Amino acid sequence: MKNKNTAAAVVIAAAAVILLSSIAAVVISRRKPAGSTVEIISDGKVICTLDLSSEPDREITVEYKGRKNIIAIENGDIYMKEAECPDHTCMKTGRLSEAGVPIVCLPNHLIIRYKNGGGDTDAAA
Amino acid sequence: MQRRESRTAQIAELGVLTAAALIIFVIENQIPSPVPIPGVKLGLANIITVYAVYHYKWSDALLLVLVRVILGSVFAGTMISFAFSISGALLCLAGMIPISKLIGEKYIWLSSVMGAVLHNAGQTAAAVAVMKTTAVIGYLPYLMISGCIAGAFTGLAAQLVTVRLDSDRKKGEKSSNDDA
Repeated sequence: MKNKNTAAAVVIAAAAVILLSSIAAVVISRRKPAGSTVEIISDGKVICTLDLSSEPDREITVEYKGRKNIIAIENGDIYMKEAECPDHTCMKTGRLSEAGVPIVCLPNHLIIRYKNGGGDTDAAA
Repeated sequence: MQRRESRTAQIAELGVLTAAALIIFVIENQIPSPVPIPGVKLGLANIITVYAVYHYKWSDALLLVLVRVILGSVFAGTMISFAFSISGALLCLAGMIPISKLIGEKYIWLSSVMGAVLHNAGQTAAAVAVMKTTAVIGYLPYLMISGCIAGAFTGLAAQLVTVRLDSDRKKGEKSSNDDA
């Protein structure tokens, strides 16, 4: 019984470390300035890099295996306007924010993210 | 934890548990996620997984989860969600089974937290492989936090189920002894 309690204490400590370091990671990634360069990654390849501060309003269509995603740029914001996928999680993410996570469309292998910061992982990669 | 029960009875129970897990999974899939982060969900079907890990051989628990994941993808998902589910489920079991042996029945909720966190880690690994970029790791901290919360919740539910079933079973044994 004593062994089980010790083991449980170790696991509780491990869980606490995971939780706290995750919260720290979220806080740090939210504080990092992101700049204004955004990249669009389709199926692992960067298909375009945009500077949102100088980009005119327009729509970009990206196709993956016949399924289309429409990315919209509006007043220096970028968001997923339409996606031919079952869940539409990427559309619900809304505008890409400097503080938040990248916009990800898992079914269509599409990612929109800030090149530096904003949930960026270049340091880890 | 091994009960003196015929193998046939165990297999029948596993079948019922798998069906229950599938129903929970399909129903939960219909509820839209409150947060726009792929992979964040309560994972209510894991109540059954946690219960099975504690009450059956590891191979039985593994089979139950495999059947649930495969049939769940057939009923509700797509092939891509299958890739995430299976890698998450396997990593979850690989961690949860030894942990459950180590810390025992008093801390079911704790095994469930670790299981949920490992599930999300497995999903993220699959996402990196599928998307061919590490950009998705940005989601990992969010998933870990949601995993801790969801895992504690499903683990507590599993703990309640276990306590109740065990006391029912004792009552059943007692009354059958009385009959004899």
